[in-house]
Amino acid sequence: MSDEKNHDYHLVDPSPWPFLAAMSAFVMAAGFIFYMHEMGDGLIPLIGLALVCIVAFLWWRDIVDEAENQGHHTPVVQLHMRYGVFMFIVSELMFFVAWFWAYFDASLFPDEIIQEARMAYTSGVWPPLSIRTFDAWDLPFINTLVLLLSGFAVTWAHHALIHDDRKTVILGLSSAVILGLLFTALQALEYSHAAFSMDGGLYPSTFYMATGFHGFHVIIGTICLFVMLVRTIRGHFTPDHHFGFEAAAWYWHFVDVVWIFLFIFIYVLGAGDPATMPAAH
Amino acid sequence: MATDTAHDAHDHHTPTGWRRWVLSTNHKDIGTMYLVFSILAGLVGGLISMGMRAELQEPGMQIFPWIAEFIANADDPVNAGKHLFNVFTTAHGLIMVFFMVMPAVIGGFGNWFVPLMIGAPDMAFPRMNNISFWLMPPALLLLCMSLFVEGPSGFSGTGGGWTIYPPLSTSGQPGPAMDFAILSLHLAGAASILGAINFITTIFNMRAPGMTIHKMPLFVWSMLVTAFLLLLSMPVLAGAITMLITDRNFGTAFFDPSGGGDPILFQHLFWFFGHPEVYIMILPVFGIISQVVSTFSKKPVFGYMAMAYAMSAIGFVGFIVWAHHMYTVGMDVDTQAYFVFATMVIAVPTGIKIFSWIATMWGGSVEFKTPMVWAVGFIFVFTVGGVTGVVLANAASDRIMHDTYYVVAHFHYVLSLGAVFGIFCGWYYWFPKMSGYMYSEFWGKLHFIVTMIGVNMLFFPQHFLGLAGMPRRYVDYPDVYAGWNFVSSIGGYISYGAAFIFLIGVYQAFKAKVPAGDNPWGEYADTLEWTLSSPPPHHQFNTLPKIK
Amino acid sequence: MMNHSIKFKGLLWHKLVAIITIISGLFSTTFVYAGANDYGIASPWQMDTQAPATEMMTNMISFHNLLLWIIGLTTLFVGVLLLIVIFKYNAKSNPVPAKFTHNTMIEIIWTIIPIIILLVIAIPSFRLLYEQRVIPDSDMTIKVTGNQWYWSYEYPGYGDIAFDSIMIPDDELKEGQPRLLAVDNEMIVPVDTTVRLILTASDVIHSWTIPSFGVKIDTIPGRLNEAWFNANREGIYYGQCSELCGKDHAFMPIAVRVVSAEEFAKWVEKAKVEFASAPINETIKLAALSAAQ
Ligand code: HEA
Ligand code: HEA
Ligand code: CUA
Ligand SMILES: [Cu+2]
Repeated sequence: MSDEKNHDYHLVDPSPWPFLAAMSAFVMAAGFIFYMHEMGDGLIPLIGLALVCIVAFLWWRDIVDEAENQGHHTPVVQLHMRYGVFMFIVSELMFFVAWFWAYFDASLFPDEIIQEARMAYTSGVWPPLSIRTFDAWDLPFINTLVLLLSGFAVTWAHHALIHDDRKTVILGLSSAVILGLLFTALQALEYSHAAFSMDGGLYPSTFYMATGFHGFHVIIGTICLFVMLVRTIRGHFTPDHHFGFEAAAWYWHFVDVVWIFLFIFIYVLGAGDPATMPAAH
Repeated sequence: MATDTAHDAHDHHTPTGWRRWVLSTNHKDIGTMYLVFSILAGLVGGLISMGMRAELQEPGMQIFPWIAEFIANADDPVNAGKHLFNVFTTAHGLIMVFFMVMPAVIGGFGNWFVPLMIGAPDMAFPRMNNISFWLMPPALLLLCMSLFVEGPSGFSGTGGGWTIYPPLSTSGQPGPAMDFAILSLHLAGAASILGAINFITTIFNMRAPGMTIHKMPLFVWSMLVTAFLLLLSMPVLAGAITMLITDRNFGTAFFDPSGGGDPILFQHLFWFFGHPEVYIMILPVFGIISQVVSTFSKKPVFGYMAMAYAMSAIGFVGFIVWAHHMYTVGMDVDTQAYFVFATMVIAVPTGIKIFSWIATMWGGSVEFKTPMVWAVGFIFVFTVGGVTGVVLANAASDRIMHDTYYVVAHFHYVLSLGAVFGIFCGWYYWFPKMSGYMYSEFWGKLHFIVTMIGVNMLFFPQHFLGLAGMPRRYVDYPDVYAGWNFVSSIGGYISYGAAFIFLIGVYQAFKAKVPAGDNPWGEYADTLEWTLSSPPPHHQFNTLPKIK
Repeated sequence: MMNHSIKFKGLLWHKLVAIITIISGLFSTTFVYAGANDYGIASPWQMDTQAPATEMMTNMISFHNLLLWIIGLTTLFVGVLLLIVIFKYNAKSNPVPAKFTHNTMIEIIWTIIPIIILLVIAIPSFRLLYEQRVIPDSDMTIKVTGNQWYWSYEYPGYGDIAFDSIMIPDDELKEGQPRLLAVDNEMIVPVDTTVRLILTASDVIHSWTIPSFGVKIDTIPGRLNEAWFNANREGIYYGQCSELCGKDHAFMPIAVRVVSAEEFAKWVEKAKVEFASAPINETIKLAALSAAQ
């Protein structure tokens, strides 16, 4: 067998990041437990989180460098990335399946007779009578528009990228990032006006878990888009080689679609009858 | 396995010392680390089960109060001992499933041989491959840490069983031990998901020119199906245990009846993961058995397409049978009927596999080298375990067997016999390729015979115990069950002893250093790994092989 | 094709595999016949189910026997095929391997026959399942609550008798009381009576079972489960908590005493007095709601 490589795959050099990332994850996980049980001070999980972020940054920096400067990202390697990101999104989807499962278990079966305790909590209806839900056509609807708009902005930017119109790319991406931030802000605003808190039983549990996890994904997606913005400004990406950008866009659309589901099933179809709701406080 | 420098001119690229392992981006090195990890975990998980068997050898409390006093310094040894038994059962189940079987078949053999078999130079994402491995030791460490912190008030360690059903895992054990176990599963789960992405991408994208999906060796097929099961089921477990965390620590009420939640929801989520999980553990073994049976029968696999699609069918149906673990929770009778039906369906594709293996051997010129002996043993004991699964599948009969030792017997026949036989089968089959040395047939076969006697003596009587009504997860049992428990414990000691025969064999092979040659098994070992040197060069297939 | 390893005597080896396989096979078929059992409790070295005390359990046992024959023969069949391979198709006896890789007919057969077998299983299986889980009209109702680590029983309609049932510790056992099974207050039911159980738990999940009755049903905080039985034989029947519930999971047995109608009536009168002032559980509902706190 000959010595030099005669294929387009990327044989990655040894790297410290996987090991360090795993160790940082350990610190974060253990620290998180310490935090929850008030063992030691709350700094350890933050240190863990910071380490994870730093390592992730350095790791991705290597990848960007390999793509932009070392020419390792041949077409087949880009195809790997496509598969990889797609599969990752599928696994994320299955995460949301768990939250939706919990939500549908509650919202479709609030009145099973043998579930005595649940009956007592929901009074046999969904949403439970004790819960004052959000008006779907208020902030949530605005947020839907915001997210959809930012989705359009990303697509617009992508289009521009294919036509090598860097200015428009930057414009599109920055609007997407700003809209993403706006979404997060509005969501925070909504949370702060909630008439129920996390420990208020099943409704707040499913509500906060599903929307909160989604919000967390919005933040990650916004960071990804922001990185793409920076990279665009730095002159990365060409019309036919910009998978990093596409991955961020895919992710963003995924977050978008999940929101549509949340909006329809939790906010719209899960809205109660305002007449019977407890008053806002 | 450190002396492969003679093989290839370019081996000076091979990193050396600790860097080679810690910073690895090489699928074979990562596979080796997984295998070593798995062996260590197997020994620990086995040692724990020896504690359980020693306790159960006779009725009454024997050793756990003493162990509790010894390791936990408990001031109420009897009660601490009762709890500690549950801690052992939990740790044993988790370690065997997540830290022994999965790392062996997926991380170990999968990493080593998927790229080799499809003619690829490495996995698609070598760095991600390494983090998949390196998340495992911290995960195991978290699990170990859980032993030393409080679980239920006053006792240390988590004793909720590997199924961690709430409310026993929430309000029943408020201490941090359960959180350690949960976070351990989070890390191991993340590792698995990343690994699954890596395998799917590698298999779809890095097959050598000419290797169509229908020319892939069956082991690769098995890993592909396994990876999909992981990808789709593991996140649901992660979601479920995240809800456990928030129920425990942040006041949510997913599983807490007083807030309208439902403990049964957790069981659905857990088994939606848990049932695919059992196929995740066995499908790679099916793949290994197919390679080995064909090699040593000197015949191509019988019914290749049926074999591949049977695995796909098992994987698919595996997703829609989960509630057969929940026949006694009070589900609606029609729902139970559906799950009975769906579960029994799996016997059909599994039967196809069993019979196709036999048909592969049929008319062959079967050479009973050690791997083949394990393979034949596997086919038999897996059938025993599989058919008791069919008994359990019927809610009408599961009603008396659920949560008894009959279930314990069933799943050890498919796991501690099935999956473990498959692991050893793969080990002996590929050991020459991985190490470059031939193992000793003597120790290999002795290992098999002692294991075969031990595990059957260990688990067959448990069917009787289960039918007679002995519940599982019991530290002490009515005196009438003493007889078979004694037999079972003796079998247990023999089984664990066999693991040391295995170690002696490994030691002997590395000491004797009998070179294996590129292909010790002959022309019917016709997958690509046998075209390479033993051990293969650090980077293989620099020129991709062409498949006709 | 070189094998440098130490040679192990091939023939001896074949025989060993064969013998082990046969022994395992025999093992699984003999246990169809074995087992002499007492009622209500297992006996030493017992190999099959406990003796039935309800018609349901009698049916379940015959269903299980059917299954046992099917799986025993299936396993035997696979074992025999393997033996044939071992003896007939080993490298010595058959030096030249055949070449076939397909045979559509046989593949169809080994797909269809298992399907037929499964259908044969399914019919009695479903019938029995619906019998088990469709609760018939009952003559009396008992409420069962699982607690860490004892059971509570309530007899609504019988002067609201309610009592706890706790395992008798080893050092307080009386002559004839089985260790880990005997309890202070047994659940008493009349013979030939359809008893409906309503079950829940106050803390974590437990599972109420009497093997001789063919009943096993989880008791779950926040839920009310139902089960039923109709015992056709007087006597005492034991079961044990069958869902891991913590430290004393092995120490919360279930004991049901089936008595004649007259004896039952007498017991009710006595129990009304005896358990009137006993500190009993809150009602099931409160128990359920306070669960998991
Ligand atoms: C490798 C792991 C593995 C595998 C492969 C299986 C395979 C099967 N399992 Fe098992 N199972 C477990 C691991 C596994 N299981 C574990 C760990 C548990 C317990 C979890 C816990 O509670 O802790 C469990 C529990 C379990 C239960 C719940 C019992 C209870 O708690 O009450 C049930 C019920 O349906 C079940 C059924 C089956 C069936 C039908 C199969 C089938 O796939 C088997 C199919 C195979 C065959 C049938 C044999 C070969 C076929 C033929 C020779 C063809 C002809 C045969 C016939 C027509 C019958 N299993
Ligand atoms: C693969 C999984 C696996 C394996 C191998 C085993 C192996 C053994 N198990 Fe099991 N067991 C479980 C999975 C497994 N177990 C699970 C999931 C449970 C349920 C837990 C719960 O209820 O929550 C359980 C529960 C369980 C119980 C019931 C406990 C209870 O209900 O209280 C008992 C009791 O006897 C038992 C005993 C044993 C014994 C004696 C062995 C012996 O066979 C051990 C001997 C050791 C080995 C055979 C290991 C050898 C392997 C290696 C050394 C690794 C080799 C690796 C490479 C070559 C890469 N186990
Ligand atoms: Cu109560 Cu187990
Ligand atoms: Cu299952």
